Amino acid sequence: MSVNKIKILLSETDKYVEVPVEMKWDFTGRDDSIEEYQKKMVKEILGIANDFETSRFSHNSFINEKTDINYEFYFYDNALPITATTVTSANWDITYQNEGFTPSDIYYFVKPFTKSFFKLDFYDTPEDKSQTNYFTIILPVQQGDFESASITPLLPPVDIRKPKFSLDYIGDKEGFFIYWLRERDFIDLSEFYMSAKFFNGRTGVFNVMTNTPQPNITPNKFNFLSSEYFYYKINLDYTTKTYEALSTSTNVRDGDQVTPIKWYEYINP
Amino acid sequence: MGIDNSTNVVLGNLRYKSSQDQGVFVNVPLEQNVKEIIEFDRNVDLNLETVFDDERQESTIFRPVCKYSLIFKNEYTGSTTYTPFKNNLYYTNGINNAISMITLPNTPWDGNPQYFEFDFVRTDNNVPGYTSPPNNHINFVNKSASTYNWSHYITYPFDNDYLKPLYAIDPETSASWSWSAMDGIPFYVLEGTDLNGDYIKFKCPMEHGLTEDEFVELSFPYGTETIFQVTSLGTPGYNSELYIFGITNIGYTGTTFQTGAIGTFKRIVNSSNPTETRSEYYVRRHKVLTDSECSIIVKAGFDQTNFSSKSKFEKAVLTPNGIDRSSIKEGNQSYSLSFNCDVDIKPLLDNQKRPISELFFTTLWKGFFGWTKKLKQGFDFNLPLVNSLPNLWWDQTNFLSNFPITQSQYFSNTLPPVGPFSYNDNLNVGDIIDGDFCEWNDFFQTERVVSRMNHKFIYNDTYFNIPTDAPAQNQFGYYYKPHNSIRLREYSDYIEEAPATGVVNVPDYAFFSNLSNSFRWRDLYPYGYIDTSGIGVDYPFLNGKHYPYKNIVFRLFPEGIGVQNINEIVDPTIDECE
Repeated sequence: MSVNKIKILLSETDKYVEVPVEMKWDFTGRDDSIEEYQKKMVKEILGIANDFETSRFSHNSFINEKTDINYEFYFYDNALPITATTVTSANWDITYQNEGFTPSDIYYFVKPFTKSFFKLDFYDTPEDKSQTNYFTIILPVQQGDFESASITPLLPPVDIRKPKFSLDYIGDKEGFFIYWLRERDFIDLSEFYMSAKFFNGRTGVFNVMTNTPQPNITPNKFNFLSSEYFYYKINLDYTTKTYEALSTSTNVRDGDQVTPIKWYEYINP
Repeated sequence: MGIDNSTNVVLGNLRYKSSQDQGVFVNVPLEQNVKEIIEFDRNVDLNLETVFDDERQESTIFRPVCKYSLIFKNEYTGSTTYTPFKNNLYYTNGINNAISMITLPNTPWDGNPQYFEFDFVRTDNNVPGYTSPPNNHINFVNKSASTYNWSHYITYPFDNDYLKPLYAIDPETSASWSWSAMDGIPFYVLEGTDLNGDYIKFKCPMEHGLTEDEFVELSFPYGTETIFQVTSLGTPGYNSELYIFGITNIGYTGTTFQTGAIGTFKRIVNSSNPTETRSEYYVRRHKVLTDSECSIIVKAGFDQTNFSSKSKFEKAVLTPNGIDRSSIKEGNQSYSLSFNCDVDIKPLLDNQKRPISELFFTTLWKGFFGWTKKLKQGFDFNLPLVNSLPNLWWDQTNFLSNFPITQSQYFSNTLPPVGPFSYNDNLNVGDIIDGDFCEWNDFFQTERVVSRMNHKFIYNDTYFNIPTDAPAQNQFGYYYKPHNSIRLREYSDYIEEAPATGVVNVPDYAFFSNLSNSFRWRDLYPYGYIDTSGIGVDYPFLNGKHYPYKNIVFRLFPEGIGVQNINEIVDPTIDECE
């Protein structure tokens, strides 16, 4: 054993030897991991692109393979004050004439008529105070069924439009399809509540509509649960890309020719 | 440092007698498991454009869209006694038919099937006696309006069929070939040694794809030699250089190259390396990626083709059922085709086992209304008439030209029911169908479409008979090209080359050339990059998905008419001012 001249004397205090360890290196992989983490953080800060692409949802077919969805809009004839106790559902009819349009206005498509439209709003809930309107469908008055009316006594009656729609893949199809988000990771909704309004281009007023004739509304035709009478329920099926309309009160499917979706003009007292 | 005294280092020649000095090496392995780290704070510059591009390059999901312009000439008139068809023709001989009907109530009526029978979306959903009761042909289902006549899919070529049996016949000489795709391109000797010309000229029924100074390997030898250099192309005829090539007649004797001799050839680029530079030939096989329910075809707004529609009013007295109506012979509506399902190309490899670079909009004739017989398939070289009649390839009895699809049948709603009426079933995801006849060259890493796939259908003569000279089983019909490509990205127009070792990032689809001892491949351009030659793609990217689109002219040809290619107008170049 070789020795040197350094002597270590006993001392009452501890001695320290400072060894500077300058680390300029690290185990391979840790730096890469930091880079990965950096990428992750950048992505988190910037956010990942959401998919806002829409898909086309069509009306689901019934057992008889019919796919048409049928709407009927009834307008109050104003023959009696709405507060009258003698008002019945017969005071509502499927005709634009109850909205003040003459057969001539309708036949000749005057601007106040063609600027009118039906507005179907789709909400996430029927509760007025918390609902959000996610999308809207417009039904133009240029679509729809016909009724016979006379525009002059000198000529035979003519066919004029009436607010009864049978929408399908072909023919009248404006408003037949619902275009909604394809992916459910951004907004996951498969149940909507549809309300209806009619914009009268003659008066410039929106008319709210109920799913029941006003005289039949309980407990009171002016004081009722809005969630029950202002909506139809719409269910989306993301797999088949179809939708169905159901009654909010009975939860039974509506929309075929026998049980169309009926909307009645609501008149405030 | 201490010294281990037990170790002696002895000079080589001192170890033992006659030993020699020799070098001694100590191998010091350079094993590093440490690396420098960054000592400072990390700063990252975020740039919206960079982030967008990163997302774009990473995304592998596509939502292809196209605009279909259906161009169709309703050429063939025929006659029928089947009441639902008879009552809905575009009449061409109404007066005579009406007169005949007075004495012969069951007289056939002449005319064209209306445009509804060929349109992408049928709108004749409420025609009494045809699509709605009473006594109607079928009960029209509105949901099926866009799937009664045609069905649409996205497909991609995933494999090659080298053994596909092919047949061609030259309309002028009636020289015919039956060969397998892998044999190459057929030819007949147009000018042989018997004519003592300077060149021996070969004519092909399809574009040969050769250039001067390249080589051809013939299917028959001259002596032992099968490879010959191409020294001339074409004759004075227009475009003949695409179909005719020649080799120098250096004094060949015998009957090998006699005029009229037939065979096949394969292209060879370099005769000193025939193995690697020889082209291979095959028929692409497409796999279906989407089912028919996934496709959505709708009218493309107010977009119409350049051709006007043709319709007329049919007076009641000149119709078999005595009802006034209008009839449409030809329409001009354009359509927009999209799909409800996305296409993820990440797991997909093309027919050369490279990352996929194109998808196909595949459109198939369904013919639900039963006007037509089973669907046939062939190639461009099967289209020309022979002696003014359809090519034998299309004969209904030729099983080689059958399109591999099942058929279903139904009987009409008439009283009594009539039928059966046949139609083609839909394809399902994963089904495999044939595509174009192609050439691939490993050395150049390029694919060329030699001849495009065509489908043909003819009328079912039981219910609609067209008076022609053609036999019933090989009648004149309509054909169309089912596969329309849409580029997803492009391979470079240059070839990358890297030595066998020492280079990283050589793609797994690279071709290894034994001759040059190197890998060869074409780079895949990133999305949004277009090189100086205009090669590349740049289409919308949003929602984290690619939205490639294409305008497609879908032509439904009556067989036997002169085919002219449509020159599409190229989009104007966008300069810096714009």
